[in-house]
Amino acid sequence: MSQENVVETINLVKSYGKHIALDSINLKIKEGATGLLGPNGAGKSTLFKSILGLISITSGDGIVLNHNIKEEGPIIRSKIGYMPEYDCLNPELEAIHQVAYSGELMGMNPTVAMQRAHEVLEYVGLKDQRYRILDTYSTGMKQSAKLACGLIHDPELLIADEPTNGLDTTHRDFMLNTLSQIVNQGGRSLIMASHLMNDVERVCERIVMLHKGKLIAQGKIEDLKAIEREVEVHAWGGASKLEECLVDGGLKVRRTGRVLRVVHVDDSTYDQIISAASKSKCQIRRMQDHEASLEDLFIRIMETLGYGIKSSDELLDNPNIKHVDAPLELKNRGLL
Amino acid sequence: MAEDASLDAEFLGQEGTNVTGFSRMEAAYGSGDGDEQAVAAVASAHNAEVGTIFEQIYRPWNGTLNTRWVRNWSILRHHIYGMFSKGHRPWGWPVRISLLVLLLGSMNGLFLSFLGNAIGMEEITRLFAPSRENLYAHVLGFFPRNVFCFPIAAALLVGGMISEDRKNGTSAIYFSRPVNRTDYTVMKFISVAVLLSILIIGTLAIYYIGDLVLSGEGWAYVLDTFPLFFAAGIAGFFLVFTYSSIGLALSSVSRGKFFPAIALLGIILGTKFIAFLISQLYDDSIVYLLSPYDCIAHLGQKMMGISSTYDHPYTWSLVAIIIMNSISLYVLTARVSSMEVTRE
Repeated sequence: MSQENVVETINLVKSYGKHIALDSINLKIKEGATGLLGPNGAGKSTLFKSILGLISITSGDGIVLNHNIKEEGPIIRSKIGYMPEYDCLNPELEAIHQVAYSGELMGMNPTVAMQRAHEVLEYVGLKDQRYRILDTYSTGMKQSAKLACGLIHDPELLIADEPTNGLDTTHRDFMLNTLSQIVNQGGRSLIMASHLMNDVERVCERIVMLHKGKLIAQGKIEDLKAIEREVEVHAWGGASKLEECLVDGGLKVRRTGRVLRVVHVDDSTYDQIISAASKSKCQIRRMQDHEASLEDLFIRIMETLGYGIKSSDELLDNPNIKHVDAPLELKNRGLL
Repeated sequence: MAEDASLDAEFLGQEGTNVTGFSRMEAAYGSGDGDEQAVAAVASAHNAEVGTIFEQIYRPWNGTLNTRWVRNWSILRHHIYGMFSKGHRPWGWPVRISLLVLLLGSMNGLFLSFLGNAIGMEEITRLFAPSRENLYAHVLGFFPRNVFCFPIAAALLVGGMISEDRKNGTSAIYFSRPVNRTDYTVMKFISVAVLLSILIIGTLAIYYIGDLVLSGEGWAYVLDTFPLFFAAGIAGFFLVFTYSSIGLALSSVSRGKFFPAIALLGIILGTKFIAFLISQLYDDSIVYLLSPYDCIAHLGQKMMGISSTYDHPYTWSLVAIIIMNSISLYVLTARVSSMEVTRE
């Protein structure tokens, strides 16, 4: 494993009987913040459990923070802070004691755990509420308390499973800022699973996409978005003719009314568009680069793969998927 | 402006400033209109100064994490200390008060022996002294201890022990840390067993030692009665172990406090009641093998040399106890293995 990879898996397979939850995952998660994306049933939870060394994997191998997931689960878990998606707090306990206890379960001395619990609760914005019973907490405060439980031992890697689930705008902003700060100021690594693309885009510089247990994409968000770069053209008088000309010229075009989006191949794309407009006698009112958001990218990939597919293989044969930086082994198989 | 700074310095207690008392007056009575220094102190992430309410700074922690046994001790401590102090597992007041009442009720032998000594009635003292029958009855007597005291105490203790971790999702707090499922189960078991032991074996010890102190008996008496006390202690251990294992198995299959508690009482008292009815109808004690209490009582009678009230051999009761505990522990471990980390 290279030094900057916090998580690396090699042909990781986890199956429950006939059902394959993770299928030959070759993952390389580097230091910093990484978003984990995928629809329900994609295998995110199974991947987390594998990373935490909680389940025995069927085949393959995995290294987390330089420790083997097959043999060194407890050591890995002592270096990871996990913030679960669902409730994991004792509603009858006060926040300070819940956080201190979670530190003690890590192996911290009770006095040290209590001291650190004060620090982390202050850090997550619960300083004044730390002696309140958790049952009286709002959803946002509970999320913060869960984060405090995960941070108490200052982990090298924080895994946050849907950290903004059920939060209002204010709490969501605070949570995302806090997570960003943990990475940027604290120098810790973060894996953040979320269905909210904007959240991932705001905190993470890299993403990993899973679908039906397979790794669909991984890499820097900017790189992945650049693959989907398009030129947006606002046409007037003859948009359909312009579309025809562009398609005849070998360009890929998507059109909604007078707005056309042309896949950016290289710098000559602009000249081709202008030539096509001249040829079709169509007026171009506006032409600009369109940078896809992460959400666009995710939807595009999912549309291509289809939500109801039986296996990823048949869809990975689809040439559209070539846009995405996919696992090396799939590239080697000529699928991508 | 310079004067304002001087007043601030005085108010903040800085050295080398003249004490005029003005700023204290200002703090106490608000003699100014608050606009003397019309500059607001705004919280900032990077250059916080006086007046900042909340500044979010990530503070690293460079301490060392202790070993497995410290983690296990923290689980044990959390559950046991919670009975006595705040900040640990929150046992409800009804549970604490009930257990206190049961604890005091379990020491009635010592109270009556004390009463006999205090008022000088030797008959009462002798009646409640730690004899073979009294020591047996303290642990294994059906009425009142194994009707009202011990099963109810066990039910109160096991109620939410594992089921609430499942219900609240707190299992994720345990298993996302370097705590394995064996340690979790064993520590939960020991926590219940320790609390139940205080009630059963602890009160037995208090009764025995207390009576020795009260009656002022000599070493010969101790040598005569200690093996009986020891045997009663062993029987108490069987009782604690069996009630804990059945109770925790029931707790592990549930999501609330009520079901495990009622089910435990149902198993202990229900099997006893059914076995009693059948034995009365058919004059056969074999059905008592279904009753955890009766199996331990049978074993206790054998260990303490008391004439048996059962027709079948005591080895059958021993085997029945082993089978009951094996099934309970299997259910317990299987259910704990199924507890989730990512969702519950």
